[in-house]
Amino acid sequence: METTLNVQTRAESGKGAARRIRRAGRVPGVLYGGEAAPVLVSAEAMEAWRLFNAISVENTILHLVVDGGEPERALIREIQTHPFLPKLLHVDFLRIQRGKPIEVQVPISLQGVPDGVRTEGGVLDLVVHDLAVKCVPSKIPEVIALDVTAMKIGDVLRAGDLEMPEGVENLVDPARTICSVAPPRVMAEDEDEAEEGEFDVGLGAAPDVGESDEDAG
Amino acid sequence: MLSPKRVKRRKTHKGKMRGKAYRGSKVSFGEYGLQALEASWITNRQIESARVAITRHVKRGGKVWIRIFPDKPVTKKPAETRMGKGKGNPEEWVAVVKPGRIMFELEGVPAETARRAMRLASFKLPVKTRFVVRESQL
Repeated sequence: METTLNVQTRAESGKGAARRIRRAGRVPGVLYGGEAAPVLVSAEAMEAWRLFNAISVENTILHLVVDGGEPERALIREIQTHPFLPKLLHVDFLRIQRGKPIEVQVPISLQGVPDGVRTEGGVLDLVVHDLAVKCVPSKIPEVIALDVTAMKIGDVLRAGDLEMPEGVENLVDPARTICSVAPPRVMAEDEDEAEEGEFDVGLGAAPDVGESDEDAG
Repeated sequence: MLSPKRVKRRKTHKGKMRGKAYRGSKVSFGEYGLQALEASWITNRQIESARVAITRHVKRGGKVWIRIFPDKPVTKKPAETRMGKGKGNPEEWVAVVKPGRIMFELEGVPAETARRAMRLASFKLPVKTRFVVRESQL
């Protein structure tokens, strides 16, 4: 998937300049990588926000139009956002060169419902949400599809079990768990009551810190 | 209830809750999260109460992560005590939560169930919260 974003170069750097740019409704960023020198840029904040929400930011190639010139192909390396407001703070773009392998994060998409979940009530636990892969830019997969329908309770799918598309190298340790089907967590009645009891007893009880402090001292 | 196993100092200063939670502000483990929109101390009882609310609502299935830990002791003076005579006794443990912090995460349940479970949990907490989904975060 490829798409276009207009950016302008900026002369000033530092937090004061970055704040001025943000107040003007733009988002500061930097374009680096490849043979050329890094360039400080800024983009229209709303345009960038809409674009980033519409694409898979980890593995989509952007055509960056710098000051209306020739489009440069780049990947988004990092997006800094406000912790809870829909605001972009800074964006890192990485230039990519045709035919030169790059490392990207590709989202894992689980296909189907595991047998262990459907029939036995297990819980599918996706441990790794994005897979680090290495490939040439033209072969970056949109998603790594993973068929989990045959998984039963206790089954574990590891990175080594994944079938990668041609020309795409998996950079994750083959022994790393990608997803597993855990047995159902049954909350028995007595367990429920025990929780309540524990909660009641705890009321007003002083934390046990005195002895531990003496131990430490 | 959550509390540290051992601590180096029994009593700490109150501290300030300035700023925002730049760390721990993304859903990292599960699919859904409950994000604080205000700063507050959250006691281990409130954390436990919210956890119980979530686990009871999802009944079976689902996996819950608690992303905050009450590692700060709070002292209180006994009732009807004159001022002075030193700092009070440690009474409870709190987690310092700043706006943006993801406090709970959930996985393995439908979105609507997760939303309702998080809503029930939010009633147990002293902060305004928001339900967040991993997919929608940048």
